[in-house]
Amino acid sequence: MLLGMYPKDHRAWFAAEMQSVFEESAQEHRKRGGARYLRFLLAECAGLVGGLGGAWAAKLTRGAYTHHPQLVRPSPATALPQEVQEAQDRVTIHLNSLLHAISHHDFVKARTCAAEEQKAREDLRLLRARYGIAE
Amino acid sequence: MRHVALQPDEIQGKPLTEPVLLILMSLAAQPRHGYALIKDIETLSSHRVRLSTGTLYGALRRLLDDLWIARFEQEDTSRDKQAYRLTTEGRRQLQMELERLKQLTRLGMARLRVTEV
Repeated sequence: MLLGMYPKDHRAWFAAEMQSVFEESAQEHRKRGGARYLRFLLAECAGLVGGLGGAWAAKLTRGAYTHHPQLVRPSPATALPQEVQEAQDRVTIHLNSLLHAISHHDFVKARTCAAEEQKAREDLRLLRARYGIAE
Repeated sequence: MRHVALQPDEIQGKPLTEPVLLILMSLAAQPRHGYALIKDIETLSSHRVRLSTGTLYGALRRLLDDLWIARFEQEDTSRDKQAYRLTTEGRRQLQMELERLKQLTRLGMARLRVTEV
């Protein structure tokens, strides 16, 4: 029920995992007796409530998760070196943050995001040069 | 008291929270999925720290957003057994934090020795 109160995109990404982890942990704690199991449940509820606040705060400040599926799919055999792929991902992340800040008229944050995006692009350019990868 | 303003190149990131530090340390050894992370962190902390599911996934979400970790795809990965791995940036952040803690420990021990004399 608590999980249902998380933002939709958080649930899309993590609900199945969180449920699986909870069930494995619950099974382990059930074997340890009633008192331990109850303490476990209370701690889990407290953690979920805390996590709920954090998830909504993140959604409101950062927008939907920027680590969309294209960034996390397995790399095909002919893919770029991992370092270059990660650098590309960082550029995309910073660009998404910049666009989010602009769309919310948070121009102070947008300036910071723009500087971070520029640095990430420069790092990517240097990495591509090191690996001899064309732009 | 003298206030010292840090120059831009001296400014380091904020200290990591304990859950984040433990997650990064756990993933430094090998990629792990959620439950394996909880168990390894219990071991790393000598059973002092047990992350709840909400705390773990809140931290994982932030670390994914910051690109300090990434999802680790295996052939037999099911949706509920997703593993995570440390990225280059995550490894660098962990190294910086451990250096900071090492320095702090060194200073602290030196002060203890001075007061014991």
